[in-house]
Amino acid sequence: MNPPGGKCPRRAGFLFPHECDRDSPIGCRECDNGQVADPFTQRTDRYGYTGYDQYHGLGPGGQRNPNDFTEADGEKLVRSRKKYEDDMTAS
Amino acid sequence: MAASGELWLIYALGGGWGHLTRAAALARVTCSRQQVRILTNSPFAPQVSRALPDLDIVALDPTLSPAAAREQVIQHVRAADPSCLIVDTFPRGLGGELADIIHSLAATKVLVHRDLSPRYAAEAKLNAFVRSAYDLILIPGEGEGAAFADIPAAVVTEPWLIIDPPPPRDRVRQPSVVVCAAGTEEELSWYGAVVTVLQALDDRVEIRCVAPECPPGCPTKCWIEHWPAADLYADAGVVIGGAGYNTIHECLAFEVPLIVRPWPRKYDRQWLRARRAARRGAVTIVKEPREAAEAAMAQLRHPPARRSHRVRNGATGAFSRIEFIRSGISMPTLAVTTYNRS
Repeated sequence: MNPPGGKCPRRAGFLFPHECDRDSPIGCRECDNGQVADPFTQRTDRYGYTGYDQYHGLGPGGQRNPNDFTEADGEKLVRSRKKYEDDMTAS
Repeated sequence: MAASGELWLIYALGGGWGHLTRAAALARVTCSRQQVRILTNSPFAPQVSRALPDLDIVALDPTLSPAAAREQVIQHVRAADPSCLIVDTFPRGLGGELADIIHSLAATKVLVHRDLSPRYAAEAKLNAFVRSAYDLILIPGEGEGAAFADIPAAVVTEPWLIIDPPPPRDRVRQPSVVVCAAGTEEELSWYGAVVTVLQALDDRVEIRCVAPECPPGCPTKCWIEHWPAADLYADAGVVIGGAGYNTIHECLAFEVPLIVRPWPRKYDRQWLRARRAARRGAVTIVKEPREAAEAAMAQLRHPPARRSHRVRNGATGAFSRIEFIRSGISMPTLAVTTYNRS
């Protein structure tokens, strides 16, 4: 269950992970009513995108396409709840 | 010792080596003519002080809470009363602490505009803030900073280099693989895995893994603690490292092939810098340790021709720009220090 009054701590998303928007896992298909600890890593429908944190698809020869998605695209595309100016070790 | 009694204060807060190294590059070319001090909270300040004992470096405790760090920064800036405040990367300060005091300072304000997350720039309305607060914006390398490049006070310099002039090459020595390991525990482990794979691919190759501590998985015989890492590039056949500002620009400037693993950062966009670099020089972007090791071995087998070229240190031009903005004289062209590199 979620902490009282808190947000769901799980990660959701198809290609880029982001925090779950829901307040409760009840009725959530992503985490199957709270049964899946990390729904993002459990997805199996990414086709050429093979797994967690792998943003690049593989071409016909199995070679990585260097122009494919990267973490930078993830940063750009995912709605952010990132807080700024609160970490004095950031860069 | 500096000729002038006025103090230039370089604000270089931020994790890792990058902010402090860039500040040291500017301070090195400045300190013979101007009293200059670096304010940092980098955990690596002691290493930099050992290597450059003449620099005046004030190191805050890197473990301070954000509130305590903000307070100490403000106290220090006020007490220093600089004639010129040079702020690296974060216009409002890393913790936003400069926002409330910068307009009240009599100092000339200079921003060093390394890349910044556009999301942060938009959320904090940085463009308007920079326009109102800063007299000069230095972009240390073409393409490095885009958030404030449209402001009339913005000037692009050549990339700033900590090695000046570059170290001479030993043409007899067998080229080594230099692994520049830094960052989080996870990132250090990645570099350790790279060294392991490199050894498995060819145990005759000399590997020098430069890091503040021996990365997990890296044999101690391969580990070297040294700053600046660029000292080791002269004998390197290839460098493996992250896509931070200094690694990328040093390797491009000294024409050392670079195998680069961009890492996610809160404000810096290493992927974009890596892609820009890959269009300009012998830079290969990788993600997995084996990918990095294999690309490095390929570089050693087929080294690219290095042409004799001239290395320009943008820190010199940056110093001139600051001097001229302070003198009130406009200056269309600048002298830069240039070294023949062969």
